[in-house]
Amino acid sequence: MAKTIPDPSEETLVRTEGSPDLGMTPGLAHAQRLSEMAGQTMRMNGCSASSHAALFADVDVVTAYPIRPYTAIMMNIAQFIADGLLDAEYIHADGEHSQLSAALGAASAGARVFTGSSGVGVTYAYEMYSPISGARIPVQMAIADRTLDPPGDFGSEHTDALCTRDMGWLLGWACTPQEVFDKHLLGFAIGEDPRCLLPQMICQDGYFVSHISGEVQLPTMEQMDTFLPPYKHPFALDPRKPVSHGPQIHPQQGPPLQLERARSMEAAIPIIREKTDEFAKVFGREYPHFVESYMLEDAEIVFVIQGAHSVTCMSAVKRARERGIKAGMARLLWIRPFPTEDLQQALGTAKVVGIVETNLCMGGASLAGALTLDVTTALYQAQNRPLVTSFMAGLGGETIPLEEFAWMVDKLEAAKENGHIEKAAHWVGFEE
Amino acid sequence: MPEVVRQRLPLFEEQGRSASVPDSVGRNLHYLPDLPSEDPYQAGHRTCAGCGPAIQYRWVLKAAGENTIMAGPTGCMYVANSTYLSTPYTVPWAHTQIAGGGSFTSGVASAYEAMIRKGKYKGEYPNIIVMAGDGSAADIGIGAISGGLYRNHDALFICYDNECYANTGIQTSPTTPYGGATTFTPPGKVIPEGKKLPAKNLAKMMSEGHPNCYVATTTVGYTIDLMNKTRKGLNHQGAAFLHCYTPCQKGWVYQTPMTVELSRRVVESGLFPVWEYDPATRKYSYFIPPVIRPVTDYLAMQGRFGHMHPEHVATMQMAANRNWEDMGVEVTDRLRELEKSEYHMALRDEDYALPINRGVGA
Repeated sequence: MAKTIPDPSEETLVRTEGSPDLGMTPGLAHAQRLSEMAGQTMRMNGCSASSHAALFADVDVVTAYPIRPYTAIMMNIAQFIADGLLDAEYIHADGEHSQLSAALGAASAGARVFTGSSGVGVTYAYEMYSPISGARIPVQMAIADRTLDPPGDFGSEHTDALCTRDMGWLLGWACTPQEVFDKHLLGFAIGEDPRCLLPQMICQDGYFVSHISGEVQLPTMEQMDTFLPPYKHPFALDPRKPVSHGPQIHPQQGPPLQLERARSMEAAIPIIREKTDEFAKVFGREYPHFVESYMLEDAEIVFVIQGAHSVTCMSAVKRARERGIKAGMARLLWIRPFPTEDLQQALGTAKVVGIVETNLCMGGASLAGALTLDVTTALYQAQNRPLVTSFMAGLGGETIPLEEFAWMVDKLEAAKENGHIEKAAHWVGFEE
Repeated sequence: MPEVVRQRLPLFEEQGRSASVPDSVGRNLHYLPDLPSEDPYQAGHRTCAGCGPAIQYRWVLKAAGENTIMAGPTGCMYVANSTYLSTPYTVPWAHTQIAGGGSFTSGVASAYEAMIRKGKYKGEYPNIIVMAGDGSAADIGIGAISGGLYRNHDALFICYDNECYANTGIQTSPTTPYGGATTFTPPGKVIPEGKKLPAKNLAKMMSEGHPNCYVATTTVGYTIDLMNKTRKGLNHQGAAFLHCYTPCQKGWVYQTPMTVELSRRVVESGLFPVWEYDPATRKYSYFIPPVIRPVTDYLAMQGRFGHMHPEHVATMQMAANRNWEDMGVEVTDRLRELEKSEYHMALRDEDYALPINRGVGA
């Protein structure tokens, strides 16, 4: 007997309402069109905020490969495409190297491209970072941080993205889902600006941001049109205007090209300021250009930090103030390009600086993390040159509880009193 | 929503000048007046004299025409072709990392699908071609090419196969044949044959593993065949893979004018089967050359095989005979005999009408 295959157009197929629960923000999956979501305030986690940013930015090509914890970003985007909310090509790459290589190809051809990764996925693609930035192709990559192996650990550490910090990408951390969403839009606007043309790595701590919900104000379509015009690369691979990308050079042609790359990073600094101001005008949310100052006006001991742990850090600073300690916090919003000037200003009154390092930089001059290298270099040139020490904390994805911050406050206070630091790097939780 | 309009390229007439015609009837007819005058692969490159891949590049781009985007992973044809400020391409071209040929090309194809569909690009869908060397296609970048074929992007993935990593100074690749001397497989007292492993069957991996793709093999010995297979690959809606044998004078050590001759002899000796795989019927059609030769006719022309002992040549003949059987060709008693080493002499002692490079290895 011949089998009857049900016609999908008939109501023979049972379809559950909305989408399966895969970390998708409740309610949003029911939206039929983007405009139904626009202008609303929704609760969503950092991953969801990233995917919604890609949705509102109307990306053309998405390249995906699964790895925890960023995977949910790509799951949500796949659902947006399946539900018809987003019209984009979705490439299931055969690995992160291919993921980034496909992103480069698509963006070179003139498409707005979104990709992302976590942990060893970020490092698996390592070869691709320099070719992408060197070709001045503004790909956007979302990173939800994860430790590098060994051993296997799902927890958050900034080491993954920090490994790529010298590869010519704009690089910065967000600490709430709203900031994640906004930073993605800012990243596109900055990176795609014809004066800039640089790829962007928009990072969020795994789990602490990627998997914890917060309120996100979604933009209206008018706001999007004002802030983010369609992407247009001036030298795209287009048969009507043939160009060659990336031909082989002779050694003597290297220096001017490398100088140009280095200058592109410097040139990004004023563009970041300009776009951040423009963002505030269009969306009504104001962000500092590079450094968020918390209780810094007269601060003598100052934490320098980035990412999610800054939320706890602020509480710790407040408590220290209640104890009469002149504490403060400077949070870095972008570390590539590194905001030397802004940081020098923010730390103008500081006597001791403690850098919270949620990453590993083994055998370096800091004996600790990667941020210290940049922060110390920036301070070396400053008029006010405070003492600097580092705190290795939150490694492996551990939380940094208030008690640990209080311990760090004491170490900084002691250094202030003594006029010198106890040691270059403290391993928080392993010392008296 | 704008429709994606794809190109249809007409095929060239094969009658009377195709590969299946013996030389005496006019296969050597190089005057091909109906080929397009446009030449998107122009002067400006610095490939070696007698470069097989350069011949292939020219025919492929001639067949594809100007509405084309080319990607080229790192390899000899990156370094030799694309000198800064003097690239030979009149079509858009981009370098990709050596492992990124398949993935970069997937990205370009996806971009054009999306941009045309979303009204951001107005024009016909371009030919999207990647030409990866055998190191890129069969080794480090095989996953990315397999990914591109599997996802069935409308693009043509080509492996130009010079059977070694030529760019870095002739190292073995998975398609280097058994016995091939390279700087990583030099013959010596303990390992007299040089390379001990037979070549990876790249094209069959692609056709068997990606049955919805158009897959074909060819050589630069058969111009019309190469150009038609290029066009068939481009016309096929979805991914296509073309494996093209392209001799490397520098790596194989042979007389410069013999590139095309070698490209025919390799087929005539059964060492490189030329075939086409039709995804609609899932059938292979093999090209049976008008002349069938013993493998020595091919091997003795190249210095890279000059070190081979009789038993190594016999091993090659055995491999060739298996290929003939696969193709459904009856193996003659003479060729069967040649599977035995007593019917051979050391390759350096063979005497042929064609001048032979007597060098031993690259």
